[in-house]
Amino acid sequence: MVAVAQHPNIELITYAEVTAVNGYIGNFTVTIKKKAKYVDWDVCTGCGTCEEKCPTKKLKNEFDLGLGQRTAIHKLFPQAVPGKPYIDAENCLKLTKDKCGICEKICPTEAIRFNDRDEYITEEIGAIVIATGYDLFPWEKAYGEYGYGKYPDVITSLQFERLVSSGGPTGGKIKRPSDNKEPQSVAFIKCVGSRDDAKGKSYCSRACCMYTAKHAFQVKEKMPDSEAYVFYMDVRTAGKNYEEFYQRSVNAGARYIRGRVSKIYPRGDKLVLKSEDTLLGRPIEVEADLVVLATAMVPSEGAEELAKTIGFSTDKDGFYQEAHPKLQPVDTFAAGVYLAGCCQGPKDIPDTVAQASAAAVKVCGVFSKAELPTEPMVSEVNTEKCSGCGFCVPICPYKAISLEEIQERGHHGTITRKAARINSSLCQGCGACVPACRTQALNLKGYTDEQLVAEVDALCL
Amino acid sequence: MKKRVGVFVCDCGTNIASVVDTEKVAEAARKIPGVIFATTYKYMCSDPGQELIRNSIREHELEQVVIASCSPRMHEPTFRKAVEAGGINGYLFEMINIREQDSWVHRNRSQATGKAIDLVRMAVSKVLRNTPLQISSIPITKKALVIGGGIAGMQAALDIADAGYPVVLVEKEASIGGKMAQLDKTFPTMDCAA
Repeated sequence: MVAVAQHPNIELITYAEVTAVNGYIGNFTVTIKKKAKYVDWDVCTGCGTCEEKCPTKKLKNEFDLGLGQRTAIHKLFPQAVPGKPYIDAENCLKLTKDKCGICEKICPTEAIRFNDRDEYITEEIGAIVIATGYDLFPWEKAYGEYGYGKYPDVITSLQFERLVSSGGPTGGKIKRPSDNKEPQSVAFIKCVGSRDDAKGKSYCSRACCMYTAKHAFQVKEKMPDSEAYVFYMDVRTAGKNYEEFYQRSVNAGARYIRGRVSKIYPRGDKLVLKSEDTLLGRPIEVEADLVVLATAMVPSEGAEELAKTIGFSTDKDGFYQEAHPKLQPVDTFAAGVYLAGCCQGPKDIPDTVAQASAAAVKVCGVFSKAELPTEPMVSEVNTEKCSGCGFCVPICPYKAISLEEIQERGHHGTITRKAARINSSLCQGCGACVPACRTQALNLKGYTDEQLVAEVDALCL
Repeated sequence: MKKRVGVFVCDCGTNIASVVDTEKVAEAARKIPGVIFATTYKYMCSDPGQELIRNSIREHELEQVVIASCSPRMHEPTFRKAVEAGGINGYLFEMINIREQDSWVHRNRSQATGKAIDLVRMAVSKVLRNTPLQISSIPITKKALVIGGGIAGMQAALDIADAGYPVVLVEKEASIGGKMAQLDKTFPTMDCAA
């Protein structure tokens, strides 16, 4: 993270979103919304005094997925890059009720700006890498048998990561959320939302088998006297050193049970998991202090809108569609736009890093040329025939057609009228505009009406 | 433009030839008006296959080329280059798919061969109306945008930046790191994520 911030060629714009992308490969104009932070990061030193003094201390810490607390003015997490705080406007007393303002008074560099506003900037860009990642499947809405989220000690694996992390809310000690006790037994349930056509997604989320093996290992490592149960459908360990890692977890004492958990319910201060051990062919009941769900990966919030903004497609599950599953796994159907990581589909860290480097190479490939060759099979307009109706403009998926004023000489002098114009750099030659044209003024070079009719004639006449 | 079409029918080993009688397709092609040369070859995409295309264009002074082989997805660029190397514009070339759309989906040899001949007739009719197209070029702004500052975005940004190009990295949260920064140790090496 620090390497990114310190790189002289990287301009880091955090707490910001891309709101518009216009143009085409080599020549995009991108609009970026910089959300109001209410802190001038050019002046702020990140000393942290404001965070100590902020009276609004009991807000749910999103970074710890609700397991810890934070203040209204806060850094996202202690090692944040940039290491500067911002104000959560919805919960700040000054911004909501015009009270308090302590941070402004005590800030040694006078960096607080309560009058900060969202700011829009534009950048000229040649190529784009999309790496918007994933979110976890909202299991609380789908899995009533696991309590719809009403049992505090049923958590997701990402929450478990925060519990075992030394930077997390418990300082790396595994404690269950309800009473902060060290759990004597931890049960892991795999494929929650994954490989479940009825309640979740049909696909395998790919990383869960391995991180669950890691979690079970960490339970045995940190609490050797505790039990780690793993309920699984299959154990998928296709990757270098993955099977060995899984075996290491089993050897450390993790107990793998093949079966789907059908119900979780409380008994005393414990949770009971009812399942079937399908290898033994009999029902099984396990008592656990903490239950960890390996929830499916789904596209991150807003992924669909971003795809529409830029102009490429998503697949049936909402992940970004690669141009070809084998030969063009990082390209999109929009030239100059490349994919990296889980936005394209669930994957683990090694695959993500490999895909990111591949996307970077694609970008460097574009930049290595002095100029870009364009495909000549694009639409063209016969302006003499074009009536300027504009039907073709919204049909073009690449925003390549515009209506422009043209001047013509008529019987009574020069007349000005509108006609379609094709930006041949943006046009991908899909041909969608051609049948929409009512005056047959549009034609796709290489696939003109005359050529297509000739083909049909050859077959039928 | 003169009408001097050359037709090249690919066997694709046995992928096409086991179902489509390629010799018969070439023979039928020779009778289509405008076609002055037609041949078959075992693998048209191979080096000798491409050489056959280049040499035939020169030898028979071909003006248009039709290649009956596989899906254009993989080999249209290959053949377009071969046609250009033979000395004619790469867009005076038509490729038809007698593998995925014929031999791989049909079993009846005579009907599949008939379909291949129909496809060749269509392509010849079209290629005679093709015009030379020219590739133009556009300038490039050599600056990249990376959307998302997780491990994928950071890696991509670093690689592009290390190659010497400026990068704008946009992240929706106040810090980069993404989900990776929330993780503890990572499999299979158990090294630290943050």
